[in-house]
Amino acid sequence: MDKVVIVGSGIAGLSCAIRCAGAGMHVVLVSPFPSERSQSVMAAGGINAVTSDHESGDSVSSHIEDTLKGGCYLAGRMAVSGLCSHAEDIIRYLEGIGTVFSVDEKGRPMRRAFGGQSFKRTYYCGSGTGKIIVSALVMEARRLEAAGLITRMLWQHFHSALIHEGVCRGVLLFDDRTGNLHPIYADAVVMATGGQNALFGKTTGSTQCDGYAAGMLFMQGAQLKNLEFIQYHPTTIETPQKRMLISEAVRGEGGRLFYQEDGKRVYFMEDKYGEKGNLMTRDVISREMESTGRDIFLDVSFLDKATIDNRLGEVRDLCMKYAHLDICRDPIPVAPSVHFFMGGLAVHLNHETNLRNLFAVGECASMYHGANRLGGNSLLAAIYSGNVAADEISGRASDENTHDFTLEIEKKKEALARMFDSQSRFPSLYIRNMLSDTMRKNLGIVREESSLRHGIEELEYYISIADQIRYDSSVNPYDNYSLTGILALARATLECALERKESRGSHYRSDYPETDSTQSFASLVSYDGGKYTVCPDKECFYES
Amino acid sequence: MKVRILRQNSPEDQPHWETFDYNGPEDASVAAVLDYINYNDDIETDEGKKTSRIIWDCSCLQGICGACAIVINGRPALACETFIRDLKEDVLVLRPLRKFPVIRDLMVDRSSIQENLKKSGMFIGEYSGSDEREHDHQYSVSKCLKCGLCLEVCPNYINGKTFFGAAFANDCYVVASRNSAKSDEIRKTYAEHFGSGCSKSLSCMDVCPMKIQTIASIAKMNRMKSRNRKSE
Ligand SMILES: Cc1cc2nc3c(=O)[nH]c(=O)nc-3n(C[C@H](O)[C@H](O)[C@H](O)COP(=O)(O)OP(=O)(O)OC[C@H]3O[C@@H](n4cnc5c(N)ncnc54)[C@H](O)[C@@H]3O)c2cc1C
Ligand code: SF4
Ligand code: FES
Repeated sequence: MDKVVIVGSGIAGLSCAIRCAGAGMHVVLVSPFPSERSQSVMAAGGINAVTSDHESGDSVSSHIEDTLKGGCYLAGRMAVSGLCSHAEDIIRYLEGIGTVFSVDEKGRPMRRAFGGQSFKRTYYCGSGTGKIIVSALVMEARRLEAAGLITRMLWQHFHSALIHEGVCRGVLLFDDRTGNLHPIYADAVVMATGGQNALFGKTTGSTQCDGYAAGMLFMQGAQLKNLEFIQYHPTTIETPQKRMLISEAVRGEGGRLFYQEDGKRVYFMEDKYGEKGNLMTRDVISREMESTGRDIFLDVSFLDKATIDNRLGEVRDLCMKYAHLDICRDPIPVAPSVHFFMGGLAVHLNHETNLRNLFAVGECASMYHGANRLGGNSLLAAIYSGNVAADEISGRASDENTHDFTLEIEKKKEALARMFDSQSRFPSLYIRNMLSDTMRKNLGIVREESSLRHGIEELEYYISIADQIRYDSSVNPYDNYSLTGILALARATLECALERKESRGSHYRSDYPETDSTQSFASLVSYDGGKYTVCPDKECFYES
Repeated sequence: MKVRILRQNSPEDQPHWETFDYNGPEDASVAAVLDYINYNDDIETDEGKKTSRIIWDCSCLQGICGACAIVINGRPALACETFIRDLKEDVLVLRPLRKFPVIRDLMVDRSSIQENLKKSGMFIGEYSGSDEREHDHQYSVSKCLKCGLCLEVCPNYINGKTFFGAAFANDCYVVASRNSAKSDEIRKTYAEHFGSGCSKSLSCMDVCPMKIQTIASIAKMNRMKSRNRKSE
């Protein structure tokens, strides 16, 4: 193929763009903002890989097993094997383009262990792994931009895909600066738009990850997968605008979780799971915290100041800056928060969706993490998936057929112009906030049928009014037109959670608390004129 | 608290000031103040005049993406990590960065930062290994947000001109120190677009949210120069 358009310029979009351009393709890389503003820069902990100098006993197959087990055997073995066996190449590649990894006194990259891993295999760059990788990839992309192979377009929001008879032929974009919709035609389209934070309002991630693109493509015929699997991070602090992540390192250094009862501290994790209770996995701790029904605190004030300064300096600064709290003195008030989405656009092993020439990579695609993601695997998956899609696209012949989308585009322009015309002061943000209330209440850490049904009813209502309301047009038009796609995605997520009548990984049903071995299939959801159909992927359609 | 904001409807329009009343929480960040004012059926100035919602940029809301860089009470800073409790003044005055074209209100077009880096060939290409002692500074410099705060405060930086400012100087250092084969080329472009224009006011370091020691990049670039000259 000759020309590809990539939507989203985080780590997945950048990786795909660089690889496509490296193969001689012309890439148009679009996003509203430069890569430095993507959620990828927030990844702190690291990226997993078993390399030839691995810890004694570790192996690629151990990485594969850990990943499959962490995901409760819902991710496909072939996909996960591909991911883990290419991890070393990816680390070497990142080193080769100048990524500043943390190194020991001999200059060798250092590794740490993340939860759910049998060995230390997480490479990291200080406390800013995502940021440092983005910086290196941005420079490498710049090399190809200068060579005329990558064209970056900023201020561009995805509007919809140009699809005819099941084949994707380009995208329609909204340009913030001109206020216009404009098409870009290409041989292939790659979506790299990240997770779906907006469904839940405040999360640990970026405001830019709203899930709209996945929702809109769903309405245009793309299948979605495993939406019910949403990772909660147990230790986050509340600020007026977001939930801020308190690193797992705090518990690693001995931090203790407790609540207050009758003036006494109850160390509920230690009481239930023994000495190592505070180090249980994210999903277990989140559920236990929730089941106490109390305000939970994380205490490190008993550690000596030097340990806090040397090992938890970033957490100390963050708490001081955002919560005005001195962790050397006071316990940190924490609560679980939505952190990562295992579900997203359903893709085959080559990262193509069910629509021909439409690909999805990074967090917006669902592939490697099954029912639960291991820390450090999503940066790896973002890069690997970008590479896989690029290799497929560059090796494929361009489709000679064309289609005239003029009429369709004109209609969409008219609909947008009607939105601009509005004199209303009603902010679409009100609906977004109602949505996140609904999702938090009914699709929390513990779910059950009646609340899921209640959530679906509320969603039906929002969807029924969303198109009727006139919105304040003084905000960015994207904020208004994106509502429909976001609501459809939210509804699909609730439907998937309702349909999975078992507990597995991050999906916990109080009415079906056990894992049911007959349900070890991914869930697929499709949309047809307002009808949502969920079915298990029994044929392993996407494992090919 | 009164909040004065310099507003502009489009790149072509004239900017104008509007004042709002803020009665929200006292521990809010400037970003939270903007959200608070915007979250109403009707947005009104302190004189009750209806107006449009305030447009501003954000992404991470925790000081690591650089989106929300604006001028706060005369000082260039990130809105999401500047707290009203820490301000000395009892009025909050917000304006967009002056060194970049305004798109709307507090949102500006900083693409010139990337364009300058592209024009000057600022990429590592192939990592050639580097001196371990350089590691910490390379790490620190790789955290640059490309937020433009250093350019806003710099007396020599003018958008569209040939002096590219601190963000550029720091990237020069990363490239030259991680690919020795490119260091001659980078030294040249550094001299042309930074070395010759920098008057060492170093105000860039005072406002840098990542606390990047640009002075260390300058010193290292200069040393690199003399070292190579010696070996010539
Ligand atoms: C606080 C935090 C810490 C984390 N730590 C780790 C870690 O230590 N290790 C790890 O492996 N993972 C970690 N993760 C997860 C990891 O960061 C993400 O999964 C990964 O970075 C996703 O990359 P991406 O390229 O798919 O998406 P993103 O980086 O989110 O990029 C999405 C891109 O799409 C663009 N976009 C979005 N919507 C649209 C639209 N409608 N139109 C046009 N463009 C659009 C955005 O502007 C952006 O450019 C962490 C996540 C968070 C939030
Ligand atoms: S050097 Fe500092 S102030 Fe300048 S762009 Fe980078 S992070 Fe921002
Ligand atoms: S929103 Fe990212 S730095 Fe403020």
